[in-house]
Formats: sequence, C-alpha cells, structure tokens
Amino acid sequence: MHRAIAALLFVVAPLPAAAQGLVRGTVRDKDGAPIRDASVAIPGTTLSTRADIKGMYRITDVPPGRVRLHAAAIGYGPVDTAVALTGGDSTTVDFILLLAPLALPPVDVVSDRVPHFGDRPATSVAQVTERDLGRRAVNTVDEAIDHVPGLQMVNGQTNVRGSTGYVQGLNSRVLMTVDGIPMNQGDRGGINWDLLALDEIESVEILKGAGSSLYGSAAFGGVINVTTRDVPQGLHSRVRLTGGVYADPPHPIWRFRDSPGTLGGADVSASYGTDAFGGRISVGDRHSDGYRQQDQDDHLHFGGRARWQHMNTRVDFSGAWAADRYDVPLSWCNRGECDDRGQVFQPFKIDTIERGARTDSRKGFVSVRVRTTISPRFAWTATASWLRTHFVDLRRSASEFGVGDRFGAAGQIEAHPDSTRTVIVGAEATFSAVTSDIFGTHSQSEFAAYGQSEQRVGALRVSGGARLDFLAVDGGSLTAVVSPRVAATFNGMWRASVGRGFRSPTMAERFVHTTALGFDVVPNPTLRPETAWSFEIGHTSAPLLRFLRFDAAMFWTEARDLIEPQVLQIPPDTVKIQLQNVVRARIAGVDASVIAAPIPDRLIVTLGYTYLATRRRLAGDSAEGPLAFRPRHLLTLGTDYTLGPIGVGADFRFASRPARIELEGFVDPRRVPVKVLDLRAAWKPRGGPVEVRLLAANVLNYIYNLVPETLAPVRTVTMTAVWTH
Amino acid sequence: MRTILLLVAVVAACGGGLEPEPICARTLVGLCGTVRFRGTIPDSTDNVFIATYVTFPQTCTDLINNRRPVIPGSVPYTDSAAAYSVPLSPGTYEWVVAVWKKVGNLTLSPADTALLRVAGYYRSPSDSTQRGIVTVPIGAAAGDIDLVVDFDSLRPATDFVSCTAQ
Repeated sequence: MHRAIAALLFVVAPLPAAAQGLVRGTVRDKDGAPIRDASVAIPGTTLSTRADIKGMYRITDVPPGRVRLHAAAIGYGPVDTAVALTGGDSTTVDFILLLAPLALPPVDVVSDRVPHFGDRPATSVAQVTERDLGRRAVNTVDEAIDHVPGLQMVNGQTNVRGSTGYVQGLNSRVLMTVDGIPMNQGDRGGINWDLLALDEIESVEILKGAGSSLYGSAAFGGVINVTTRDVPQGLHSRVRLTGGVYADPPHPIWRFRDSPGTLGGADVSASYGTDAFGGRISVGDRHSDGYRQQDQDDHLHFGGRARWQHMNTRVDFSGAWAADRYDVPLSWCNRGECDDRGQVFQPFKIDTIERGARTDSRKGFVSVRVRTTISPRFAWTATASWLRTHFVDLRRSASEFGVGDRFGAAGQIEAHPDSTRTVIVGAEATFSAVTSDIFGTHSQSEFAAYGQSEQRVGALRVSGGARLDFLAVDGGSLTAVVSPRVAATFNGMWRASVGRGFRSPTMAERFVHTTALGFDVVPNPTLRPETAWSFEIGHTSAPLLRFLRFDAAMFWTEARDLIEPQVLQIPPDTVKIQLQNVVRARIAGVDASVIAAPIPDRLIVTLGYTYLATRRRLAGDSAEGPLAFRPRHLLTLGTDYTLGPIGVGADFRFASRPARIELEGFVDPRRVPVKVLDLRAAWKPRGGPVEVRLLAANVLNYIYNLVPETLAPVRTVTMTAVWTH
Repeated sequence: MRTILLLVAVVAACGGGLEPEPICARTLVGLCGTVRFRGTIPDSTDNVFIATYVTFPQTCTDLINNRRPVIPGSVPYTDSAAAYSVPLSPGTYEWVVAVWKKVGNLTLSPADTALLRVAGYYRSPSDSTQRGIVTVPIGAAAGDIDLVVDFDSLRPATDFVSCTAQ
C-alpha cells in the first residue's frame, strides 16, 4: 500500500522547473510551406501541441534525456525523430513532412479519450477531415459524414453499423461530443447537427461500435466527436457565401410550384489570438425554400470560442446559439388522404389540412474545459457544460412545445507512469430536465465513474477498463449499469475489442404523450436501459501494392431490451402506440474500405462497403425478422482528381432497400434503394485567399425516401465561395 | 479508372426510384386525366368537379338528373393542374364537363344551376371547337381525358341547355 501511494506521488509530482526543457521548431512541407495544425507530440507523455498558421510549434516542460518526437498531419506521412535534451535546455527541431494521401489519420482522440499520436485505435474509427468537409461544400456536419463507410444518416439520425435505424426522433444510439463534451439533447437525446457552423469544425471522428465503457449512455452504437478549430495567433477572418437551387421534380405530375426553390447563406467569423489568449466569434444566416411543399427553413446562428493559457493550464470556453424557423415537412400525400382526393401518389405535396405547420426552435450551449499538465506524466481535465433546446411545433390540429436542459460536469485524470503505459480515471455527473406538453415535467440524473489502463508490450498494445453508471429518474431509485471493455492492437495492423454498451431511455421515450399516425402515443415510465455486447476484429494494410490502403472489420453485436414502438390493441376497437423494451437483436456484418492513390498527389479513389445482417426477435415471440431501417448493403464510392488549382470529384452512395420498417401496415410502405450520385468541382489557387466550390448533389435527381412518407433531397446545385484572411 | 467508376455509378443510379402512380388506377373503370386551371379563382368558389352525360343534356332538368356520377368528388383547383379520375359504367359519354360550384347547398334539383357554372369540357382531339365523345371500355378506364378550366370564363348552364321550362 505504501509503495502504491509512493508511486502515485511520484507520478503526480511536477518535475522541478530547472529540470525541464523546451523543444520548438517548424513543420513544413517539401516546398517549405507551413503545415497548419500539424501535431507534434512526445508519445507516451502528456506533452503535445499543434503547429500554428506559420507552421511553428513549441513544447514546454520537456524532461531531460533522450526524447522521441512525433510529427504528423492529415495527408502527410508522419516523422519520428529523437533529440537529447539536458535540463533547462532549449532545442530546435524542424520537421519536413512529405505528402502521403494513404497516411492514416495523425491523431486518434475518440477511442480512448486521450490523444494517441501515430497509434492505431483498437476499435474502428473513421475521420472526416477539414479538407473532406471543405470539398463537399455542405452546410452541416451530417451531410458530410453521410459518406463514411458503415454510417448512414436516416432523416437526421445517425445509423452507425446498423445501431440506430430510425427511432422517430425520440433518441439516438450514437453519442455526439464536441471537443469531448457530450452534446446530445436533454429531453430527446438527439443530435443538433446545425448548432455548430461548419467553419467552426476542424475534424470529425466517428467511433464505430460500443463506446459506453468510457462515454456511458447513448454511446451504445458509437461516438461522433467533433473537434472545433483552435484560435490561431494573430488576426484572422473568414467569409463563406453559399447559393444554390433545387431541381424540379422529375415528373411533371409532381410539380408543386412554378419556379425552382433556392437556398443561400452567409457565414462570417473573426478571431484574434496571442500566446496567452485568443478568441473567435462567428455569425451565420441561412435560408432554404426546400425541395418539397412546405419545406422552408430559416436558420441563424452565433458562435464563440476563447482560450486562455497560463503556465501549464489551459482554459477553453465555447458557446453557440442557433434559431430556426422551419416548416414542418409533413408526410407526403397518400391516395385518398390529401387534396388530390385519391387521384395520384404525390411525394412532393402534403395533406392540406396541415398546411402552415411550422417549428420554431432555439438551442444553445456553453462549455468550459480546463486542462492542467502537471508533469509529462500527469494531467487532469475538468469540464462543465449546459445545453438547452427549446421547440414549439405550431400546427392547426395541435401545438406542442418542449424545453430541455442538460447540465454536465466531468473530471478526468490522465497518467503515464512510464512510456509504455497510460491510465485514465474519471467521473461524470449529468442532470437533464424537460418541461413539455408532450413529455411532461421530468428530470433524469446520471452519475458515473470510469477507468482504463493501457499497456504496450512490444508490438502489442492492450487496454482494459470499465464504467459504472447510476441513473435516477425524477429523483427515484438508482439503476446501475456496468460497461466493461477490453481491446488490443498488434503491430498497428490488427485490432480486436469486446465491450458492453448501454443506452438509458430518454425522457421523451419514457413520457411522450401525443398523437401519431392518428393514434394516441402513451407513455411508459417503466422503460429499462437497452444493453448490448459488441465484438470487433479488424485489420489495416497500408500501403498495399504501393498505392492502396485497405481496412476491414468484422463486427457482432448482441442487444437486449431494445426499445421499439408497439401497437396496443385495446378491446373493443381502440389502438394505441407505446414504446417498449421488447426486442432482442443481433447485428453482425463486415465493414471494408479501400483508398487508392494510383497517381500520387492527383487522383484518389475511395471505396467503402458494409454488409449488415440483422436479426430481431420480440419478447415472448419465437418469430424472427430483420431489424427495421437497416439496409443489408451500404456502398460508398468516391474519386477526386486534382490538377493545380482545379479539382473535380464524384461520390456515389448506395443503400439497399430495407427489408423492414416499423409500424408496417400503419404507414405507407413504399421504399426503394438509395442510389445517389454527387459531382463536385473546386478552384483553389495555392496560397490564395479565395476558393470556390461547386456541388451538384443527387445529380441524377433520384427520388427516394429513407423513412416512411418522407422524401429525401432532390438534385441540389450549390456554389460556395470562401475567403480567408 | 475514374471513368469506369463514374460509368458504373451512373449506370447503377439509373432507374429504380419512386415513380408516379398511374393516374388511372389499374382497377378503375371510368375515365381519368388532368385538369389544367387558368384565370383567377373567384372568392366564392366552393369546389370544382367533373360530371359526365351519356347523352348531351337538353334541359336544366337533364343537367341535374342525368349527371354521372350523381354526387361527384371534387378536384383540387388551387394548383395549376390536378389529376382526376371518375368511376363510371362502361359505355359512351357525349359530354365530360368540369363544373364550378359557388358556396351554397345543392338540392339535386334544377335550382342547383344557380350555383353551378360550366368551367370547361373535354374537347374532341380532332376538332377542339367540338366537345369530345368518350367511350369507357368494359373493365378498364379511358385515359388522357384532359380538360382546361378557365376561371375567367365561367359560363352559365343556359349557354348550353334550355332552362325556360323551370
């Protein structure tokens, strides 16, 4: 015991100031151009930094002795070097990184809640970089990540490897974090994709598979971590203008307006930073006529970020606020239900009795993050956040409102007892409250503690950990959930993991009381958490045949108590809908991706494929069938060709027709495979302040739906111009 | 390689999406088509419906009593065009007419003509100055029976039939 305490004190104790050194330098490409945001780290310690806009970096408090430095950036091959440092010394190390389109992402943060530099994660992680976001010329993050292999956006909900399907907007089986801070809604558990302006975002990491051992509830099917841009030194500004037009329906009988719909928007941000502090503000406005009847959307947002660095402590403040007024894109006209009096199926039009329905939505968050690097072996982080969502649905038949709050506080300790071992322990508390005429007035508290240790033995890296969550609804008794996880990587090429995930029912799921499809939806306060065991084994080959990178994973999830809407037949002739823990499910499949660069620096081709086999069994029923809204095949195909300042590209998405939808028999069962082709072009002079991008999304104007009676976007052509100073 | 991939994508993306359902349902026995609207919709509009006559009506009484169907469904008139279908017995129909109705209750008597106007009628494909004759086949529908409704030119029944006997 005394030895353990002594060891802990040794780890925690800061090194004497006189013994610490400084490493600084630049990160540039072969032409001498600075590489902004390149990461420079001393692996196995708490010490890391990123290059600024001039490519300069600085790492303080470096222990004396021989130090390994690792530098990497997106799209460049990593460089490792070693430098000998005496106590209090200052050394300059300049890096030159060579273009390597097949290089793996330089940093993995999401898989272990601590940054890994150059180490491959033990669970599948996909990254969407700033470059990916830019070249797609999209407006929100969800539009950009829709092309990630194994991921499908279903009417705003994220389906990672078949985890979520579509759950009527009442929950999410995927957790969203912004810079590591959970941001799912307090009442419905959903994700506000438009709360962050795209220009605020540096990258998005998607953890595929159960992440509950570190992240708790909602990380049942995966975690999406959005990393926002840091505030660079100096004065910077950025203007982004977007304009576009929606195509008319492909069949004249579906025309519903006389002139094409348009969309447009503008975003402006400005920042100023020094070594010690920095701040950025941004504002944006967006309007869309929509691509179907009653689909207009007006969006306004403000965002801000500030950082303050003093000695070894860094404090980050973030906040955003967004207001939306959007027409409720009601379900399409069915035979006999709409103004057409049963004449013809009309997916672009809605039932006239609900014309004018709209939603006013306000949402915002503030967060603060404090990180203190006590020594190269020890650091602690504390966060606090508040997310508020407020909506009012205005309909002729009934108006509904809801106010949801989510308050969170967390602390985490990161320790590196030696260069081969990392330990993290943390605790979290979350309080969510809702006031709504459809959800009632309720609260939910969650308390959690977690820990994970990672050990490197030669080429093998093994990690294990667990999280204990306590949940209480309306101050009632606590429900405990344990989520363990074990994972390993070998030689950076093989990976395997097994873990338990869970998702606590949202307050919306427990207490919703409304009308849907003409039936009463009744609450079910007795809902239990969903749980699942997930297993994955994967392999990465890079490079293969000198121009290929191949990644594949097999995954298997056994889930219990999944929540699904059930139809209750109440004699003599009453039908109600209630959410119940009735489903036991299996989700298994294969996820594979290939990146090829046959002409280095010019041509990149990507291919992603996911095969899903799902099995669902209702409690007390031996009949089996597939899970709803899970396509068996998901395919993404992309190519980019760059020649000087000109770039052209194409993306193709295919999803097979889901074999099953929920509440079949009560909704229009029409559904077709997804076959969407996007074309894009860009003009970006090297070093110039302006870039222009053109995107033709769904260029073939393929008409499809992902959920019943809801049309997916038609051909949309947008042009985006970005000016950066 | 890029061209091949693009070609594969284009070919794969062709067809297979949601398609319009036929205006004439396969099970329909009657006639169907499209009504196109022109002019300014009068404030007093209640609805627009399609009526048919086996023989061209001669009097207001014929106009009300010989109408098929007796109580027709209305056609949406707020957009520039609307599809319609009318279930009918097989046979030949000499007049297919779009009727505008002002706000008020119908009594299924000749007095209803005070609330009704002829808004347009199906015209012969070979001579658009003449009304068209439509044959509803046995067990099927006559399609493409398209009409134009001109709200600026609503005509009273007396332009077509004699109502002096009322």
